[in-house]
Amino acid sequence: MAMNNDLRATIARMVHRAGDGHIPSAYSIVDMVAILYRDYLRVDPRRPQWAERDYFVLSKGHGCLALYVVLAHAGFLRPSDLERFCTAGGILGEHPDCTKVPGVEASTGSLGHGLPFAAGIALGLRIAQRSNRVFVLVGDGECHEGAIWESANLVANLELGNLCLLVDWNGSAAQLLPRDDLPAKWRAFGWRTCVIDGHDEGQIRDALDSVPFAATGTPTAIIARTVKGKGVAMLEGHGTWHHRIPTDAELAAILEALQ
Amino acid sequence: MSPGRSMREQFADTMVAVGQSDPRLTVLISDISHFILQPFARACPGRFYNLGICEGAIVSLAAGMAKTGMFPVIHTIAPFIIERAFEQLKLDFCYQQLCGNLVTVGSAFDYANLGCSHHCYDDFALLKCLPGTRITYPASALEFDLLFRQGYRGPGLTHYRLPAVAHQIAFLPSDIQLGRGIKVVEGDNLTIVATGPQLDNALAARDELGAIGWHPEIIYIHTIAPLDFDLLRASAGRTRRVLVVEEHLERGGLGDEVLRATRDIAGLRFASLAIPNRFSTDYGSYAQHCERWGFSREGIVAKVKAEFGG
Repeated sequence: MAMNNDLRATIARMVHRAGDGHIPSAYSIVDMVAILYRDYLRVDPRRPQWAERDYFVLSKGHGCLALYVVLAHAGFLRPSDLERFCTAGGILGEHPDCTKVPGVEASTGSLGHGLPFAAGIALGLRIAQRSNRVFVLVGDGECHEGAIWESANLVANLELGNLCLLVDWNGSAAQLLPRDDLPAKWRAFGWRTCVIDGHDEGQIRDALDSVPFAATGTPTAIIARTVKGKGVAMLEGHGTWHHRIPTDAELAAILEALQ
Repeated sequence: MSPGRSMREQFADTMVAVGQSDPRLTVLISDISHFILQPFARACPGRFYNLGICEGAIVSLAAGMAKTGMFPVIHTIAPFIIERAFEQLKLDFCYQQLCGNLVTVGSAFDYANLGCSHHCYDDFALLKCLPGTRITYPASALEFDLLFRQGYRGPGLTHYRLPAVAHQIAFLPSDIQLGRGIKVVEGDNLTIVATGPQLDNALAARDELGAIGWHPEIIYIHTIAPLDFDLLRASAGRTRRVLVVEEHLERGGLGDEVLRATRDIAGLRFASLAIPNRFSTDYGSYAQHCERWGFSREGIVAKVKAEFGG
């Protein structure tokens, strides 16, 4: 039984209602995002722009359904916002827009932007001598982008120890380019690296608890082995469900599996 | 402002002056101007970063800094920011409504012998497509200093296109206002709109044009966007003939904007002296590139004769 099945069920209902959205990409990260907001990020839904807040940047923007349901659970969004996902006049689209959505720190979608953007946040905070922490989540497919490795090099050389990276290693990248030793790659760029099960609450917590978080220091990359579509057998893996919309019967089956 | 300074020296001086008064100014470079910016690095410790050769990531990183309230300045050769990192400018600064500054060298074909990889004469066209972006072309040290001070805190993204060669006209500081053109010379039957160092050639062409009956009004434009529509319309409305001279592709540059500004003026005749829609593939000096494309006193006179007679 996966954690956060209530959040997974909400995601499935949103996609079914809207006729759009990426369910499996959200299911592979929702456990990590939920734990971050529940227990680690210093944020205040009444003050989304609070100067002392921690920052979370979802670099793989197509996983935004996970962020939306977590933000709603944390009080940043209303249930009606979720109901209007992908509708005209709604604030939630298939990629997050920070100019519309309270609690979203970066508008992402085109891959490879969120990590360097988060690095800039971390550097700006360090220059201002502020102790806020920066978390950023990238996908393994996103690690095909050159900008990710430009940023890996920059963050390590700038010694942005106030930045913690989570990599959603759900196997998408290896479908196409099988030389995929992400832990070795991040270590080679000078990052403190650990590998965890991204659906195991204890391992996620242990990894987050171990991050040193210093204004200047070695950045941390938590490489999280995850399952695309985690929690519902029919969605898991790399088949047609990446951007497929469930029928009424399929939604019922998904919700049944999440009971 | 420091008299007699080159454009790049003035950039360095202005960074020191502004950086000392504003702790939110930061300078990010992609391995050019490193030594000339050392006074800034010393005066503003912790706010100067030579981040190497990774322009896309540098632009995104600068946008993230802006998210925290910093005023980042990104400095390198024009094509490597504006063409290579265009998506980062579009999505990370403009879409997210963040403030940033691009200070580029390598205007048009300034890096003449380095070939087309180092030329950039499509920057006006590209940046005009990014909503809210301001485009400036300060072609004297004074202009850069004043326009930067007026613009660096936003809103939005501002580009400062620094030419290697400054024009020779000494404007009053009070004449330099972001978004405002300057009427340099009054005229009555032709408007020449010049930008960048081509102002000198426009002024030099006046005597020869006068001998064949043309008395041009010279309008100097240092801010491409937002463009001073009022000044242009007032002049074109009187002269009914407009020639735009710009070191940019003829498509998408200042000329197109002047046409947009004056499109409803009855009887208006328009001509453009710009770079044809081709690569400038030959080598030689900046002056030789100018000669090739007609950016000279003689080229302006010939263009006026060909388009308007005389």
